[in-house]
Amino acid sequence: MIKHLKIIDYALASLLRRKFKSLAIITAFTVVVTALASILLFTGALKKEAELVLAGAPDLIVQRTAGGRHDLIPAAYADKIREIPGIGMVIPRYWGYYYDPLTEANYTILGTDGKAERLELLEGRLPERDGECAVGAGIAEMQRTVGGGELILVDSSNTGVLYEVVGVFRAASSLLTNDLIVLTDNEVIRFFGLPSGKATDISVQVYNREELQTAAAKVKRMLPDTRPITRTELVRTYEMVFNWRSGMLLTVFSAAVIAFCILAWDKATGISADEKREIGILKAVGWDTSDVLALKFWEGLIIALTAFLLGTIAGFVHIFFFNAFLLAPVIKGWSVVFPDFHLAPHLDPYLVFTLGFLTVAPYVASTVIPAWKTAVTDPETIMRG
Amino acid sequence: METSAYIRTENVRKVYNPGRPDEMTALDDVSITVDRGAVTVIKGPSGSGKTSLLSVIGCMSRPTAGRVFVDGKDVVKLPERFLTGVRRKKFGFIFQQYHLIRNLNTLDNILLPLYPTNMMPPEMKRRALAVMAKLSLSGKQHSRAKNLSGGEQQRVAIARALINDPAVIIADEPTAHLDRGLAAEFMRILASLCGEGRTVLIATHDPFIYGHDLVGKTIAMRDGRIEEER
Repeated sequence: MIKHLKIIDYALASLLRRKFKSLAIITAFTVVVTALASILLFTGALKKEAELVLAGAPDLIVQRTAGGRHDLIPAAYADKIREIPGIGMVIPRYWGYYYDPLTEANYTILGTDGKAERLELLEGRLPERDGECAVGAGIAEMQRTVGGGELILVDSSNTGVLYEVVGVFRAASSLLTNDLIVLTDNEVIRFFGLPSGKATDISVQVYNREELQTAAAKVKRMLPDTRPITRTELVRTYEMVFNWRSGMLLTVFSAAVIAFCILAWDKATGISADEKREIGILKAVGWDTSDVLALKFWEGLIIALTAFLLGTIAGFVHIFFFNAFLLAPVIKGWSVVFPDFHLAPHLDPYLVFTLGFLTVAPYVASTVIPAWKTAVTDPETIMRG
Repeated sequence: METSAYIRTENVRKVYNPGRPDEMTALDDVSITVDRGAVTVIKGPSGSGKTSLLSVIGCMSRPTAGRVFVDGKDVVKLPERFLTGVRRKKFGFIFQQYHLIRNLNTLDNILLPLYPTNMMPPEMKRRALAVMAKLSLSGKQHSRAKNLSGGEQQRVAIARALINDPAVIIADEPTAHLDRGLAAEFMRILASLCGEGRTVLIATHDPFIYGHDLVGKTIAMRDGRIEEER
């Protein structure tokens, strides 16, 4: 134990003796880990947000399609869907997108009958009368309003409408409510100028989750101009989008990782004459091959762990405290036109382990393996050069 | 003084790069004895095989053929980890180029052999300071090796060789970079080491050393063979 502590002490001193070289490697390594950690943390956090969103999503969403595009659906379809056995609550939903030219952001406006069970993360209450609204945290921040404040929106007839803010969402998932404005159903119909008897889509509850696909097929058979979307399909779509985006970034970034690996390998394999000589001296004065390998192992581990910790912390801060300003335009894609939302800090131990394994292990190996080649040679041969 | 053989070589042969166009026989049928507690000098011109013989005796390299006995044990067939143990416990090396780690300070250079042991750091330091005091290096513990004079570097190399309290001191051309005054100083240090009962083996072509009164046995080498032993 004492022996290993002394070898670690020597390894630290050895790195400090080559402080500029060590610092340069740690810096380059940290940048690589930061970028990798940022991509993985960001994608992971978005997936987590999506999971939270979808946990509260309806079992089935029924949309009407016309010409392959989403179209308004007759609200009367809800009554037909209710007739299918195994179907629970069926609610026509009224919602749409609103572009605010002042803040240059898109909002989602959603109607409510005031009974929505899943909007519990609210400070205040849901709107109960026309002229009232509840808003997401992102909108409250952009519009500089709070509960009891006011919000002006321009409706489909280009008329400004003043709403009283009666509630502000503080959702654990800001992705869920960040860009959301909730009005009464009647107010949404009036605001968007929706034709009478038409809804945006219909949410459907299915009692037996195992029967979701069957229920969707029955809806499709009964109403051929509709497209039923199950929650599973939504989850899959989200995951594919996030995986594709992070995969694309990782592919681009892999060039940098490979370049770094080549640099690390070159550094390690190209043990300088001085380092070789030092290994020769250590062996000559009584260091065993295993002692030399332990020294190189600790040197590599100290550098790799330092860079890994710094890179992971930097990645965490970048994603969760600086809103992923370097990655957001690429990964969030079209959603940049929505109000900025803050990802809830979330660190998956499996992700940290994977990141550590992918960065620390190769570097330590690329340090120890070439040193082993020198360390097993007779000290006389090493010192003769 | 006890003069039994502490080191013995039997028909040692050392070939570098065997089977290649640049094959070179450094030692050929070398059989010598080094007496316990005495100073033995191996002399000869450059390329005569002195350093190769020291390396083989000091367990720094293995002979191609032959046997080497240290304190009665054949070390040639020992596995690497045992060989390292022999090197650490029995021998202290003073190299021609001193082979100090240039960016390390004096104290850390001297402590190098003690790192891979279970000795506690305070004891290591106490021992190093004692050796330094003996070699007039007190006050130099924080000086980097590269900033020391030739004589100081040599004394650091001697201190490093002594830190493990070895039975044998092996010195390769120890006066090659020293003036006559420093060479005399080196011989005074050797005299005190012999006084402590240590065995000293020196390779040199410096007449000042092999003509010195302290030397008990001189072995002359030429072209990898023993030319004369007296």
